[in-house]
Amino acid sequence: MRSIASRVGWGVATLFGASVLAFLLMRVLPGDPARLAAGELASEEAVRARAADMGLDQPLPLQYLHFIRDFVTGDWGYAYSIGTPAREAILGRLPATVELAILAFVIGVSVGVSLALLAAYTRRRWVDVVIRGLSSLGMATPQFYMALILLLVLSQGLGLFPGPEGRLTPGLAEPPHRTGMFTVDALLAGQWTTASDAFAHLILPAVVLAMVPAAFLLRLLRSNLLETSREQYMLVLRAKGTPRARSYVRHAFPNAALPTITASGLLLAELLAGSILAEKVFGWPGVGSLVADSVLSKDFAIVQSFVFLSALIYVVVNTLIDVVYGLVDPRIRSASR
Amino acid sequence: MIEHIPASPGPRVADNDVLLRVRGTRTEFGAGDQVVPAVNDVSFDLRRLERLGIVGESGSGKSALARTLMRLIEHPGRVVGGTIELDGRRLDQLDESEWRGVRGKDIAMVFQDPMSGFNPLRPIGKQIVEAITLHQDVSRAVAKRQAVDLLGDVEIVDPARKFGAYPHEFSGGMRQRAMIAMALANDPRILIADEPTTALDVTTQATILRLMRRLSDERGAALILISHDLGVVAQMCDTVQVMYAGKTVERGPALEVLVNPRHRYTEALLQSVVRRDQMVSGGRLPAIPGTPPNLRALPPGCPFEARCHVGRGRTDCSTETPRSSGFATQHGSVTVKCHVPAEPELVALSQGPDELRVDLGGCA
Repeated sequence: MRSIASRVGWGVATLFGASVLAFLLMRVLPGDPARLAAGELASEEAVRARAADMGLDQPLPLQYLHFIRDFVTGDWGYAYSIGTPAREAILGRLPATVELAILAFVIGVSVGVSLALLAAYTRRRWVDVVIRGLSSLGMATPQFYMALILLLVLSQGLGLFPGPEGRLTPGLAEPPHRTGMFTVDALLAGQWTTASDAFAHLILPAVVLAMVPAAFLLRLLRSNLLETSREQYMLVLRAKGTPRARSYVRHAFPNAALPTITASGLLLAELLAGSILAEKVFGWPGVGSLVADSVLSKDFAIVQSFVFLSALIYVVVNTLIDVVYGLVDPRIRSASR
Repeated sequence: MIEHIPASPGPRVADNDVLLRVRGTRTEFGAGDQVVPAVNDVSFDLRRLERLGIVGESGSGKSALARTLMRLIEHPGRVVGGTIELDGRRLDQLDESEWRGVRGKDIAMVFQDPMSGFNPLRPIGKQIVEAITLHQDVSRAVAKRQAVDLLGDVEIVDPARKFGAYPHEFSGGMRQRAMIAMALANDPRILIADEPTTALDVTTQATILRLMRRLSDERGAALILISHDLGVVAQMCDTVQVMYAGKTVERGPALEVLVNPRHRYTEALLQSVVRRDQMVSGGRLPAIPGTPPNLRALPPGCPFEARCHVGRGRTDCSTETPRSSGFATQHGSVTVKCHVPAEPELVALSQGPDELRVDLGGCA
């Protein structure tokens, strides 16, 4: 396994690759950002001035170095399409996405893991068949379709959840800003009504986002559990009188969970990058829709910063996964010492 | 350095002190016309402290028998008949939760492959502690002390430190020692060892066997040793039971059965063992011709008939299932299921089964 030094090196390489990609992509796409920023009717002169202002007249490597230097020092550029600094635009939207991603992740992992344990543990064939059917359904149903069905039935039909109106019921004041995650902020401020309202707004989009991760983890873990249950040590455990449930939860599960841990990390990183579809359907003001709009308007500052940021999230999450892996598996721990 | 096995179970094992009584046990795998009777009407007694060797080729049903004794048969296998009595208690009538109280407590088992016998993510010591706390109402600290003592008993150096070691930090031999320690954790009355040394190198084999023999005696456990290695069985066991096609075909004192085989299958098995005199002359090792019969469609008559150099083609051998016949010998009685048993050559005792022996080194 990898040592700490090579892990860091790998992380840096990933960040470098992602930043170069982000930087170049926006520059090779057709359309002149300086023209877009200056406006359709601006004179050539004005466009050139704008380009110089945005640093676009400089050679590419220099532009790249400036981009990195500015990003690290906190200057993420000016978002011309919305008229605010890019940093403010992204960080303003990020908490909404993070809050949603965390809940979706928790739902996805707990549903996937518990159904996988149940499917592998049960001796009743039909339970396994039903669970596997649910997993196929979860994988195959398009997110937007699922979102619409849930909204129609649970929100509009039964009135159990709020409709697609964003993070709070319109008219309700936002809780005082601390983390930017409304449920957390409201709880910290002791505003119970706001907290429960914010949480209720989270549930349906989180369920929609959790669907694919849950179905995927369920499949992965179920087949790993079945494989593990054929291991010799499971027979030894039976022979020493261990109850079946205990040998599944204490012994088979940790062994079978290693690939699931890796997959969960990737899924979490993906959720943190935001989902354009789910955000559009639920009117959720997250980073996904911000970035989608910025790509269309060729807003360098936002797209660049965001790609770089998600690469950073990806590297951090992966490093955490490596740490968790080492905690679970003693063979890796002793190999990386 | 060649040691001598006791002339007979003698004073160590009392003839009428039956610990485990097995009658008519039958275990099947598969369903419909694909049913395989892996254990087919097997009956025997195991006496207190006795060391019983069960030998046979792969597929003879010896492992299935061992697992039947602990009800470790997994779907699609099932135990379909027979009674098993441990000290007068009917084990075959127990439900699964009652069986859990027997496994690892009254009957414990050591398996063939020590490499994958421990959960790789948990320290070995903790897995032994688990075996203790499942059956004994003791504190963790007490269980830990017991586990460290057990590791010391199986001659693991520095047991207190090795308690926290993970399986991958142990060699194959050390893992098998730890397996034995775990099996003995609750002082079982019967220790079943299913090919315990097959996966180990020869020098390790001898130490492991010696250890098992010493510890099962010290802790008062009877031993059932499943093996295809007649040399090991000759060295370890008081009694030998030869299995073929799911049935016991010959049974008796090790000294008698391995020196004067009566069943033609036992005879053939013994001839296929490397003997010192043959190694000197460079002779070829005779193998038993043919393969074991298809258990799904057992032919009538003796299951060994098609491969038997005496019985092949004989009417009684190919049509009638041979019944048990008993022989009184100087070492005790032998039962054989054969229409044409071999006449013992009355070998003098001084020419005992030394040439069969794997040298386990001097040890009691």
